[in-house]
Amino acid sequence: MSADVAALIRRGAPTPCAGRFVLEIEAWQAMIARLRAAELPLLGLWSDGVQVHALFRQGQTPLVASVGVSSEGYPALSPVRAGARGAERIIHDLWGIPATGGSRDPWLDQGRWPVATPLAAHSAPTPGLPEGREFIDGPAVMRAGGTVLGHGPAEGDFRAPFHLRLGLPGAGIEAVQPCMGYAHRGLAARLRGLAPQQAALLVARIDATATVAHQRAFARALHHATGTPMPAQGVAAGVMLGAMERIATHLDMLAQASAMGGDGRCATLAATMLEQVRQICRELCGRRLLFDVIVPPATVKVRVEDTQLATLVGQHALLHRLFWRPRGLAARVRGKGVLSAITAARWGILGCNARAAQKGQGDMTDRLDARLDEIGESLSLLAALPEGSAMAPEGGQGEGLGWAQGPAGPVWHWLRVEEGHVAAWWCGDPSLALVQALPTILSGAAYEDVDLILAALGLSATGADL
Amino acid sequence: MAQLNLFWPEGMPLPRLEALDIFHIESGGCTGCGLELASLSRALLAGSHPIRFVPTPRQAGMLLLTGSLTVGMAPVVELAWQAMPGARVLAVVGDCAVDGGLFGGNYAVLGGVGARARTRVALPGCPPAPDEILAALVRWQTTEGKR
Ligand code: SF4
Repeated sequence: MSADVAALIRRGAPTPCAGRFVLEIEAWQAMIARLRAAELPLLGLWSDGVQVHALFRQGQTPLVASVGVSSEGYPALSPVRAGARGAERIIHDLWGIPATGGSRDPWLDQGRWPVATPLAAHSAPTPGLPEGREFIDGPAVMRAGGTVLGHGPAEGDFRAPFHLRLGLPGAGIEAVQPCMGYAHRGLAARLRGLAPQQAALLVARIDATATVAHQRAFARALHHATGTPMPAQGVAAGVMLGAMERIATHLDMLAQASAMGGDGRCATLAATMLEQVRQICRELCGRRLLFDVIVPPATVKVRVEDTQLATLVGQHALLHRLFWRPRGLAARVRGKGVLSAITAARWGILGCNARAAQKGQGDMTDRLDARLDEIGESLSLLAALPEGSAMAPEGGQGEGLGWAQGPAGPVWHWLRVEEGHVAAWWCGDPSLALVQALPTILSGAAYEDVDLILAALGLSATGADL
Repeated sequence: MAQLNLFWPEGMPLPRLEALDIFHIESGGCTGCGLELASLSRALLAGSHPIRFVPTPRQAGMLLLTGSLTVGMAPVVELAWQAMPGARVLAVVGDCAVDGGLFGGNYAVLGGVGARARTRVALPGCPPAPDEILAALVRWQTTEGKR
């Protein structure tokens, strides 16, 4: 069935972007009808104001279906792919393009922006409500009754801001309504008209926990759009830096989760390892956080000293033992914040969180264990020093799509380049799917555990809001 | 004298400092500054240092902002500031919070708070390292903060 839908998409009109096809509205509707029974996962949905694009994955191949936007908008994908809901609301907020059959509730726009539909060609000024849009509890929160508690956007922690309304009829959370937009910086509007080098500076600062992934995905999209080959050395450096980033981000999460879970030994060791990794990054690239290391193509040959690697490998083994010791963190967080394989499939969650769901029930223990595994794999990768092979560009006609595996899952970038400048851009970050899955993940949790569960999820509001 | 071992394996001696409770708000950045603050917070905790990051503005003497101020976060920052008791000071850390950095004003962002409000600590950098943030706090405490 998936092959059927993929074939239908491929019958659309080809575009300058390899793997993207424009469908007539009837074909788009037929695609939606067939998606109901097909397994083709949806990885992203966005608009450039003229068309709406849906990114699917067939096996390991990305496939983009596009449809022209009419005065009524475009037929919604959310009835057959729940993960499209957030993106449809974002497209409506930014472009004013509605998804027929989908929700028009705001997702990013809390009513304070001075313009409505800021990306549209004729975005209208609005007075902007000084108090913002009144926060109305959704039916799920109202139905839950009992106590309604808020969480965020300012908890004194170090994460990007977002707000949750939590309905607790008893001891456990039964309803969750996320409120996003606090971290929205209007990146799509900022990138328009920039030269790729300037755009890359902003891309590197989408989310500091996945900066290398964003830089690599953007560099790949750019390389496909412009037809410039990517030298082998740059590809290899990207792989190594991606491994360094994965280690650092996972260690940060383990340190946070251990501290919150009351496991001081794990917390101290994870924090110590993290500082060593940041120090190594400073020695290799001149920065503790890996901003601006990929574009222009990285020329550094990333080679971590053998002694530094050996220390990290030894500490990783110890951290693993500490994690699994009796009454250690693994036992303390068992059963909390379950993200099952079914939930992951429903919302299009991939990467380390989906991998954890395959390991067991997908609770916090599985998630943190998956992160520990990925740290081990990344350390082996750093030790092996793989040679990258040069990447030949696909297309080279002004439009490109690229992806990279980030610590929380795959990150996607798409861009259109006109006269040497970015004309349109989209970024797909795994956090948007995680936010949408929060009602399921937090269901039944105690209010005191919310912070802990969020910390281990790797959800970044700045990646979701852009 | 307290030692900070987390950033420097050989340890770094710290001067004796006054207690300071800091409430941090990430007001719309990439969280890079937040990550470095988290590192600092862990090191301070490990060293039982009297500078602490607290979970509520009601017990804080310093409001520390990172990130450019988004229109969504502006009222949140205002509420936190109003909730702080007694003498309170504002600190901005990182280019975004100091003057907007790469994220200047647009429809969703007001810009850096440092360019609009009176701040007592303003530390540029993208992001400044934990030792630089600590040095800025110590500098403020040993000069202005004692007055
Ligand atoms: S100053 Fe730099 S590191 Fe800090 S929040 Fe802004 S972009 Fe991120």
